[in-house]
Amino acid sequence: MRWRPFALAAALLVYPLLFRGAFYQDMGALVLIQATSASAWNIVGGYAGQVSVGHAVFFGAGAYLPVLFYELWQLPLFVGVPAGIAVSLAFAFIIGLPTFRLRGHYFSMATIAVAELVRLIVSNSGFLGGAIGLMGPARPRGWWDLVFRSAVPYYYIFLAVLGLVLLATWQMERSRFGYYLRAIRADERAAKSLGVPVSRYKLYAFMLSAAFTAAAGSLYIIKTGFIDPESGFGILVSVQMIIIAALGGAGTLLGPLLGAILLVPLQTATNTWFGGGATGLTYIFYGGIIMLIARFEPGGLIELWRLRIAPLLLRRRGDAHAP
Amino acid sequence: MLLEAKEVSRAFGSFLAVDGASLEIEEGEIVGLIGPNGAGKSTFFNCIAGDLAPTAGRILFAGHDVTERSAEAHARLGIGRTFQVPATFTDMTVLENVMVGAFLRHPERAAARARALEILKRTGLSGVAFQRARGLGTPGRKRLEIARVLATGPRLMLLDEALAGLTPAELQGAIALVRAIHEEGVTLVVVEHIMEVILGLARRVIVFNEGRIIAEGPPQRVVGEPAVIEAYLGRAHLGRRKA
Amino acid sequence: MILLQVIAAGLLLGAVYALFSSGLALIWGMMNFINFAHGEFVMAGMYVAFLAVVWLKAGPAGFTLAAACGLFILGVVIYFALIREVLRGPMLAQILSTFGLALFLRYAAFFIFSPNFVTLPQTALTGTVDLDGIYLSVPQLVAGAVALILTLALHLLLSRTQLGSRLLAVAEDREAAMLMGIRPDRMQALAWGLSAASAGIAGALIALSFPFSPEVGGSFVIIAFVVVALGGFGSVPGAMIAGLIIGLIESLSAYWFGPVYKDVVVYGLFVALLWLRPQGLLGTQ
Ligand SMILES: Nc1ncnc2c1ncn2[C@@H]1O[C@H](COP(=O)(O)OP(=O)(O)OP(=O)(O)O)[C@@H](O)[C@H]1O
Ligand SMILES: [Mg+2]
Repeated sequence: MRWRPFALAAALLVYPLLFRGAFYQDMGALVLIQATSASAWNIVGGYAGQVSVGHAVFFGAGAYLPVLFYELWQLPLFVGVPAGIAVSLAFAFIIGLPTFRLRGHYFSMATIAVAELVRLIVSNSGFLGGAIGLMGPARPRGWWDLVFRSAVPYYYIFLAVLGLVLLATWQMERSRFGYYLRAIRADERAAKSLGVPVSRYKLYAFMLSAAFTAAAGSLYIIKTGFIDPESGFGILVSVQMIIIAALGGAGTLLGPLLGAILLVPLQTATNTWFGGGATGLTYIFYGGIIMLIARFEPGGLIELWRLRIAPLLLRRRGDAHAP
Repeated sequence: MLLEAKEVSRAFGSFLAVDGASLEIEEGEIVGLIGPNGAGKSTFFNCIAGDLAPTAGRILFAGHDVTERSAEAHARLGIGRTFQVPATFTDMTVLENVMVGAFLRHPERAAARARALEILKRTGLSGVAFQRARGLGTPGRKRLEIARVLATGPRLMLLDEALAGLTPAELQGAIALVRAIHEEGVTLVVVEHIMEVILGLARRVIVFNEGRIIAEGPPQRVVGEPAVIEAYLGRAHLGRRKA
Repeated sequence: MILLQVIAAGLLLGAVYALFSSGLALIWGMMNFINFAHGEFVMAGMYVAFLAVVWLKAGPAGFTLAAACGLFILGVVIYFALIREVLRGPMLAQILSTFGLALFLRYAAFFIFSPNFVTLPQTALTGTVDLDGIYLSVPQLVAGAVALILTLALHLLLSRTQLGSRLLAVAEDREAAMLMGIRPDRMQALAWGLSAASAGIAGALIALSFPFSPEVGGSFVIIAFVVVALGGFGSVPGAMIAGLIIGLIESLSAYWFGPVYKDVVVYGLFVALLWLRPQGLLGTQ
């Protein structure tokens, strides 16, 4: 079992060297961004069980601030990244502090409302480009603008950030913080009775998650150089994180990465098959998958494997060995 | 005085589930808390453990006024409690469940794990340490509840029917466990319907009925008091009439 | 005069908000469950009405009835197929289920009807009424009045009838209700049917005077959140009053700040409410 994460890491490292086509390298970079944002969502939505349906607000902040700094002061995009993270932390605090003292669904409702509120405000703010959005430097002024023709440099930057997020999640999983979050997800009242500061830990998890999501948004703007309200703050951005994390396995370390590896290529494929009509069909399909996960296996594919398929295989193997 | 409850009341809407209950518990005691169904025992526990705020009255623990403090603060001060309906973390293993408790006094993972393993051994759960709690039956869950609270290092433990639903053999084991916990210096308040358990454990019994304390004293004497008999029989008559 | 007209129009629209929000409050009150697809139910009601007009040449009463029946059935089916199981699951499953449903319904409509706005073909309800200088369109007047009556009827159904007390019994204590011979499953399915029907009717009523597209559900669901949060969760009378207030606020802010800001004001109000009075303006506890 131990070798699996390492095999996965090795495969991710060599992928752009094996698949040399621009199409595959672009897709690889996209997989990594989506895996990063879904892994970030996973910290609060998966481990702590506090389901945010408005994480787009952090992704959008992470994408908008770098390009806003460029627009205002011609700064390289990476300079605005900390500002995007800071704004996201502020949003997380504003949403989290009041709602985490209340029960469950309140938080989810607040996240979607704030995300929509911010999307509306951004769409109507001239200095943020309104409904049209903002654009980064078209031509690189130096290496610091991080504009590359090939997707490969982006791929490795994204891989490093994803590695960082997963490392942090892994550390968290093994520390008191992670145990407390899982206890909160399972039973808040019991967690409190054992001395877990429930509201505070939920807020920490939410803020950590927000910061990483903003980082993913920054990666997005650094690669595409362009952002508009829908691709930054739109509800579908949140949907994407949720479905990837939930499909792979919410509350597991590698579930979101697995989800991204499965879903992003599939999505690229359906987009090519169905052409322009794909949007409707893709999201009908997504909605269907989300409902199926909720109805049959909220733990996603990893739980499905652990609880249902692996025991079945083990039993079969046992039978073969029996005399 | 370890715990002092002064005229504690708790209302749900206009209904008073606990009605001016006062209670004093010395360090090192085992106190039995009995009473018919719906008497308000669990609600009283919830107030003492900080899970519900009393609507009136004060609660002092080791000299601190804890009336308005959160459940987490209660746990930190050393009040541990089990739930009548076991509230185990079902997706986590038995060991992880106990570690959540152990983290309160041992922030490092290795230390918490060592402490949890120790407690699992003492509570006879070592064999299932790596199973998910979901797979445990009721007796296992009740035991896990006790283990988890024990791991927080409490000075006072409130056991809400932690021994209910066990077979006679399991019951003997559980009583022995509770005694062992007591011998280590933990003060205990035990809610239990089975008289045998109360008689075997407690030197002092408090009888609850309709939110009030109606009798208090050594178990043998208290069970003979007319008010207590009436509280129980009254309910029994009512039950028969309904059936 | 214009201000009065804005106020009247806001209250009429608010009555419709009250109607669909009551449905959300009903589900919340009974099952402690938030339906993220509630806005999509409103949207579905609009398209059912649309189909009833196109296929059956139904009049306003006819297509409203069609939306009510269609959505009632949809609500019951969704309860049995999805919600019943999910209610026993973790919170993740509860939220994902209706969130996925919302996505599914929205894009199903998108796929079937195209993303463009449509208006109901000309119906019998047209014209304006002159109330002492305040001009109100007949469709809006009818929609507001019908919505108000139906919200009141829902409230009376829950508070005054035997059916209502059975529903509340299930809400209070499932096991105890079962001992009383009530079948909780049926009651909860009924609640889902009623809730979806309230949304469907509201959709048909809004469609009387406004164009709509598959995406309108997104703002209705948040409006419903704001209304139930303002009215105190799970309270139908609270939702009724809060619905009127929100309709009024929306109308006034569109008038004062311009139409694009009406949602901004209402959503902002929700965030403010979370900080200042999370138990709802009209709620207790
Ligand atoms: N959250 C609540 N809301 C309303 N009423 C409640 C609530 N919790 C308890 N009650 C009521 O308060 C009374 C006391 O309940 P409690 O659970 O404290 O009794 P108990 O003595 O523990 O009974 P049992 O022996 O059955 O566990 C009961 O009538 C119960 O219905
Ligand atoms: Mg009890």
